[in-house]
Amino acid sequence: MSRRIQEHPILEFPRTKEITIVFEGRELVAHEGDTVASALIANGIDVLRDSMSLHRPRGLFCAIGNCSSCLMVINGVPNTRACVTPVSQGMTVERQRDKGMMP
Amino acid sequence: MTYDLIIVGGGIQGVATAYELAKRGAGKILLLEKTFLTGGSTGSCAAGIRAQFGSEFNVRLMARSLEIFEHMDEELGYSKDYLELWQGGYLVLAYSGKEFEGLKRNAEVQHRFGLDTVILSHEEVQKEFPRVNVDGVVGATYHGRDGHADPFRVTFAYAEAAKKLGVDIREWTPVSEILVENSKVRGVKLEDGSKILADRVLVSAGAWTTALLKTAGVDLPLWGEKHEILITEPWERVLGPMVISFSRGFYIQQRPHGSFIMGLPPVDPEHWYEPEEFDFSSSMDFLMRMTKEATHVLPFLKGVNVVRQWAGLYEMTPDHHHAIGPVDEVEGLWVAAGGSGHGFMFGPAMAEQLSKWMTDSPMDIDLAPLAPGRFKKGALVVEPAVVG
Repeated sequence: MSRRIQEHPILEFPRTKEITIVFEGRELVAHEGDTVASALIANGIDVLRDSMSLHRPRGLFCAIGNCSSCLMVINGVPNTRACVTPVSQGMTVERQRDKGMMP
Repeated sequence: MTYDLIIVGGGIQGVATAYELAKRGAGKILLLEKTFLTGGSTGSCAAGIRAQFGSEFNVRLMARSLEIFEHMDEELGYSKDYLELWQGGYLVLAYSGKEFEGLKRNAEVQHRFGLDTVILSHEEVQKEFPRVNVDGVVGATYHGRDGHADPFRVTFAYAEAAKKLGVDIREWTPVSEILVENSKVRGVKLEDGSKILADRVLVSAGAWTTALLKTAGVDLPLWGEKHEILITEPWERVLGPMVISFSRGFYIQQRPHGSFIMGLPPVDPEHWYEPEEFDFSSSMDFLMRMTKEATHVLPFLKGVNVVRQWAGLYEMTPDHHHAIGPVDEVEGLWVAAGGSGHGFMFGPAMAEQLSKWMTDSPMDIDLAPLAPGRFKKGALVVEPAVVG
């Protein structure tokens, strides 16, 4: 069930083209113009990474690229900010479990 | 209240000396810090520790300092993890034949004092450290016990251990004047006008030392020099050693936390003697020069985000060695400053030896040639292996 906001009292959300992203091997529907974080949250996914020291779940926090709470492995690149990275067709997204391995 | 000794300055030098003196039963000690412990050069330093120096003094002192770092967990009661001790070595790169010869000479001195520094050819650097771009690298030296320790936690650990031995520590207590009567130290005057008396005063206030000594009529050629530094987001460990070049000036290390800390000396350093002149601003120029150099030497750093940039002061002396020991002009006044960019790493050994000196015990490494009087006599001590 999508958590995408359909009607909002003040803002308008124009419908954009549907695309597919691959989250941990699962195909998900996203919309052009989504950030990775907004697409995941619309699909009911709130946990974006593990915390670095104690490995506890972390989700969207600052939403403006500052806080490191949403660092994910996107298209194979760790430490990518899901909150400011736009989705694209076929993009792979994985939760980050560690501090990020250098390729 | 009267103290036997007042220490001015809450960086590694002052705090570690307070601990070492208390351990040797040197009486009632008060440490005064203008801001907070590590608030000056200690807290803005690059956290590197190395024995790869060139002068006999520095090699012997740093060989001892490494030993102290290696046993600091037992000595102070804090784990190596807490102290962020990491011994991944220092890889010192040479970019010319002449520089390589110099590094080899330094290694000879290091070997003489029991360090197992390795000399590496261009090919060996490439083989042992495949992440390092060896373009232009003629050779290198590597010493595996060099590395990293956290300047904040090491200082705090010394402070807690000192407090347990009865040392009083007061932060946010700026000293405005050293009180002198008939060429003998009497104590200090605080910025709020109150006085605290003591038979001896040790000034270990980094680049702020010069101005304080001036209030006692003592002239010390020690100045502050701004150096900038930055740190990145953390990654899983990919780089073992501190990678450093004396000729190009850069140093880059991955901390135990995973972040990369790196610096580069100023292009045209200014000499600041008065605290009013001190400037701690961060510059775009440094950020551009540093990131260019870092991504050249360690290409994997491309795409790694910088999270913070700051500036601190090297406390420089004419010969890049500490000014440490009693001040000739005023009885009971001592100084321990002028680490010239290496104050943190030397701190433990300097504190240990200085505390022996101050309690009339024989020093294992005689610090007398580093006494502040040497500048007037022209008896400078030369160190070839420094950055900037």
